[in-house]
Amino acid sequence: MALRRLVFKLLLVAAILPSVTHAEIAIVLNSKDDDMSLIDTTTYKVIKRVPLGKEPHHLIPTPDDRYVVVGNAAGNDLVMLDPSSGDIVKRLPRIADPYHLGFSPDQKWFVITANRLDRVDIYRYDNGNFTLAGKVPLPKTTSHMAFSRDSKIAYVTAQDSNQVAAIELATQKIIWKTSTGKEPAGVWLTPDGQHLLVGMTGEDYIEIFSPMSGKSIKRLKTGKGAHQFLPQGDGRHAFLTNRVENTISIIDMQKLDVVESFRVPGGPDCMELRKDGTELWVTSRWINRVSVVDLSTKKITQSIHVGRSPHGLYFPTHAARQ
Amino acid sequence: MQTLLQLFEPVQSWLFENLVLPLLFHTGYMSYAEDAFSATGDFVLALAEIGFIYLLLRPLETWAPAEKWEHRRGVRTDVIYTFLYKTGALPFIFFLLLTAPLGHLDYTLRELGYTPPNLEELVPWLGQYPLAALLAYIVIIDFAEYWRHRLQHRFDWWWALHAVHHSQRTMSFWTDDRNHILDGLFKSLWLAFIAQLIGASGSQFVGIVFVFTLVESLSHANLRFGFGTVGNRLLVGPTFHRIHHGIGVGHEGGQRGCNFATLFPIWDIIFGTANFTRVTPPTGIRDQLDGVDYGEGFIDQQWKGLVRMWRALTPTKSAAK
Repeated sequence: MALRRLVFKLLLVAAILPSVTHAEIAIVLNSKDDDMSLIDTTTYKVIKRVPLGKEPHHLIPTPDDRYVVVGNAAGNDLVMLDPSSGDIVKRLPRIADPYHLGFSPDQKWFVITANRLDRVDIYRYDNGNFTLAGKVPLPKTTSHMAFSRDSKIAYVTAQDSNQVAAIELATQKIIWKTSTGKEPAGVWLTPDGQHLLVGMTGEDYIEIFSPMSGKSIKRLKTGKGAHQFLPQGDGRHAFLTNRVENTISIIDMQKLDVVESFRVPGGPDCMELRKDGTELWVTSRWINRVSVVDLSTKKITQSIHVGRSPHGLYFPTHAARQ
Repeated sequence: MQTLLQLFEPVQSWLFENLVLPLLFHTGYMSYAEDAFSATGDFVLALAEIGFIYLLLRPLETWAPAEKWEHRRGVRTDVIYTFLYKTGALPFIFFLLLTAPLGHLDYTLRELGYTPPNLEELVPWLGQYPLAALLAYIVIIDFAEYWRHRLQHRFDWWWALHAVHHSQRTMSFWTDDRNHILDGLFKSLWLAFIAQLIGASGSQFVGIVFVFTLVESLSHANLRFGFGTVGNRLLVGPTFHRIHHGIGVGHEGGQRGCNFATLFPIWDIIFGTANFTRVTPPTGIRDQLDGVDYGEGFIDQQWKGLVRMWRALTPTKSAAK
């Protein structure tokens, strides 16, 4: 009996062991050092730095979560990473200026904002294959994107011409284009699909538009350098980084109001949220660190030194993007 | 390089967040935030490098000078050049002038289907060894710089500008930045062209500029020693480069000079322009001995450079006058 209990315990330990010893990694893109920092999310220690390519800015998991796609803006290529180890699996060369990246919700489209080239490149995505469908020129410095729920439209900001545009993916035609405040960057569609939120990096507010017509509905004051969004996963709230004010605002996407703001140093930019909603990880670009915020206290609990100008950030067990 | 940069990170962050970023925000230039962040780092690094070079080379120039001077008044203008170039004032102007045309060129090339290659793409293993990649880029750029330098001596109009650099008769470690502004602009264009051709990134350029600055300051220093018979053939040192600046040898003859290399003398050896003789000629341009004036202060030198270039480009008109 004792032997059976021992065997049972050993089997139990063996079953549990991989999840205990196999630490999750966070991938942080050091845009000015052309590499990535891989951080153990349990110990908050940098495991290693790995060369990636020139100017990696943003990253996104493939729809099947098999890879994480990194865009090397100056390197003109995409790098596919294994999300569990951070290992480079393959490279897709000759992809011009991949700055911000996005997959449509129906997983049929892959969109790139070519920031330096003032255009949006739209690819058909089919089972890991990227086929260029069309290039859509926009006035100046295409920045960030969001998609309509039905995957028919991509909303793209043009940072230096102070515009946001809606592009029909199937035809690659601009449906509408409208003027905004200074330096529109991050863009997010509310869960009900009724409001398009745009962070104004050259102002201290986000501007809210109708996704149907492009008409400006409201300006909501958040903080200087309003920049990038990340949903809190509850279908109602979203975080917004204010890069000049050094704060993060929590926005109620139903009431279209700011719930609260808290301080994060060093020009907060991209974010990632733990699946259980306890911790927010933020790249602090001007101090070359990742700041970890305990969301129960809104205090910084970890400040992890990474490479220069850390930008995109990802770990697999994150909160739902809603 | 990363370790070195980390030393100055707090200063860079403080300067950027407290001075540069608010300025960009209030003037509506936030889209240049990333460029400005890098430039702030370059500025801090340049100040530190100037300080380091001064502390290292100034005592050496006193201890083992190639030439003994009664005073260092002739060096003062070169100090101005150094701060204008190294700390970013002139590169900033070049950035403003070149951003639009180079951006347009970049766009046109991509539209034509040309995506600049990377050295790391051609030699994939370089991507895993940043130091090796940096060295490879340095070798290629040094080769390009050798030929740019040859052309500066080859064309009369370009020599008219480059003569600002060669007219220094009290050459010291401050002299490497003594260049005509137009010549500096051509250099920026040339390097941008090379970068486009081989795909060197901004972060690699920080390391490349750092290495070039150190070696160029050393090679211009008023020092009577080099690196020995073997060392002088591996890296450009003070004695090797002093010959290039020497009256009667440095910019005359069939090749219009010798010892053109910036970092590696191998280019001079390969292309037959190396001169390893152990001489310490006085520096300057031959016609200065006949009283030709290349200017005293910064403005004077810049203006006279333009006038010389104009005359070189319009020889008949000048002769008619």
